[in-house]
Amino acid sequence: MSAVPATPLTRAMLVEAPDDLDELIEFFHARRWSDGLPVVPPTRERVERMLSCTPRKPDELIAKVAPGFGAATVERIAINAVMAGCRADYLPVLIAAVQAMAAPEFNLQGIQATTNPVAVWLVVNGPIAEQLGVNGGMNCLGQGTVANATLGRALRLILQNLGGALPGEMDRATQGMPGKFSFCCAENEAQSPWEALHVERGFKRDQSTVTVIGAAGTHNMNTHAKDADDLIRVIADTMAFPTSNDYWISGEPWIIMSPEHAEVMHAGGLSKADVKRRLWEASKMSAGRMAKMELARTQTARSEELGTITTDTLLPVSRGPEGIGILVAGGPGTHSVYVASFGDARSVTREVL
Amino acid sequence: MTQVYDPTAPSPEALQNMRRAVNDLSGKVVGFIDNAKPNFNLLADDIAELLTTRFGVKTVIKRAKRGASMPATQEVIDELAAQCDLVVTGSGD
Repeated sequence: MSAVPATPLTRAMLVEAPDDLDELIEFFHARRWSDGLPVVPPTRERVERMLSCTPRKPDELIAKVAPGFGAATVERIAINAVMAGCRADYLPVLIAAVQAMAAPEFNLQGIQATTNPVAVWLVVNGPIAEQLGVNGGMNCLGQGTVANATLGRALRLILQNLGGALPGEMDRATQGMPGKFSFCCAENEAQSPWEALHVERGFKRDQSTVTVIGAAGTHNMNTHAKDADDLIRVIADTMAFPTSNDYWISGEPWIIMSPEHAEVMHAGGLSKADVKRRLWEASKMSAGRMAKMELARTQTARSEELGTITTDTLLPVSRGPEGIGILVAGGPGTHSVYVASFGDARSVTREVL
Repeated sequence: MTQVYDPTAPSPEALQNMRRAVNDLSGKVVGFIDNAKPNFNLLADDIAELLTTRFGVKTVIKRAKRGASMPATQEVIDELAAQCDLVVTGSGD
């Protein structure tokens, strides 16, 4: 296939590809430009339609994406968004997400190259979530919602095609995890008794934001507890496990709290900050539960923070209570989700403009 | 034939070149950045001994990171850059 010159170099290149759809799909697979699923062909017309949804110029550099540090221009973000099946008006969300992922505290280089099963979880807050139909209710982490499925998928294609993190090459994940295909939801702001995540982080309620999180899994916490103290106790007990990255390096774990569980906490008189503080205290774990190697790593990583660490030391899951993230999401049901973190990554929130 | 966009991005424009070549280890100062993975310190200790006893390296300076997935502190980078002729960064377990 011969390349069709495009100018200048900051612009993406058009290439000739087969007309036949089956052959075209294979064309993308063969170049490792897909995530293993068929992609929507990023034709000039589709990409131009997507670019019409932002006032930004196509060659504007948003960020360089670790670990390959490919240039994520607006145009290249749009190309990958088209491939993922995104609707044209999703583009500003992805631009903000790329900005967020490039913040140093997110440690994208570590997230992309690690052996850990880390996905970038994309959370959408504010009015744009409803405008675009991003699901924060029933099955918000599951299948069936176009915005959730395709926004998360587009982010993965950006991480792979612009960041260069191909599985088995720069992406060194031992097993990876299903969230690496797509991991995106909104907050269920309407059914939360507390301030929304973006408001907690200093944005106005009517501003729209994305938050990116280095997430290492989703663990179901099914409990019919109707008492806040009881609920705190069982969630905290779930958080503390000796193979968690959060305890050896002081991480940033998240609770995706169902509206029912959030209401139990609220009825018990607890604010979101109260819940974080209570969980932080109750989830301290004895260092003696760790394998000897992890105890040694913890002593290296956290002695500056905690002083001398022995098998009797009670390790907090994060440096402070504010290091625990809480998002109210999901529909009816007695399920909350524990999201252990990569450990050495801090979530980042950026406004969608 | 149809035309589609290449979804990848070119690599960064500037090639990273070594500041200067090191042809001989004799009398040189070698740095190690311990990535804090288990046993890297033991490996670095053995290599340091070989470098000094067999290859005439003058000094070996070892500094550790807090964890493998985080960068060395600027203080460590500055110190090693100022004192070393070459630096080995730890990788793997």
